[in-house]
Amino acid sequence: MEAAMTNKLKVYRAMGDLTQEQLADELRVSRQTVNAIESNKYQPSLELAFKIAHLFKVKIEDIFIYKKGE
Amino acid sequence: MFHMDRKKYKQIRVVVLLFLGAIVGVSVITNSYMLAAITIFIGLLFLVLVRSKTKITIDEREITIREKAAQMTYAIFAPTIGIGAFLLLFPSNSGLSVFSKGEWTYVESLGTVLAYLALFLITLYAISYHFLNRKYGGGNDQ
Repeated sequence: MEAAMTNKLKVYRAMGDLTQEQLADELRVSRQTVNAIESNKYQPSLELAFKIAHLFKVKIEDIFIYKKGE
Repeated sequence: MFHMDRKKYKQIRVVVLLFLGAIVGVSVITNSYMLAAITIFIGLLFLVLVRSKTKITIDEREITIREKAAQMTYAIFAPTIGIGAFLLLFPSNSGLSVFSKGEWTYVESLGTVLAYLALFLITLYAISYHFLNRKYGGGNDQ
């Protein structure tokens, strides 16, 4: 059984009218990290996930989705 | 206080490294190794000073990459030097007289150095593992 995390960061970023660079500056990470999270190549730490959720004023689970695979 | 961003720092670093490379190249061609050593020292010092004025945040993805790279390096390097040491020491300790004279003595010395290096690496890993394990709450079962 394989579990996977997906996210809606790209959607929230578009809703907030932010570029990857601007979001990265807000979160104090690199643009590559934002890109990696959006394309599900990198799972952020709990701290960064909270930062992202606080930034968009939503709950963590609204952005990050835990999928329990088969 | 003067601050610069990461992009500017990277640009300065490229210029300094190109300059360093050129001077070191010239120094090697003219056999003035002292100039090369001084240039490298001053160049690195300059980069450290510039970096201290820069608001550079090493982000968590980069830290993860560094951790995995270090883990992979250890996993490859430790067995390599361990096996290398064994292969270099084995002929000298095989009892055959041909391996205990001439250039074989250098091979044995190299094997000994590699063996101690492997031991040092494993010890360093074990000590750092122990301290990091304690730091992150390991060994406090109650």
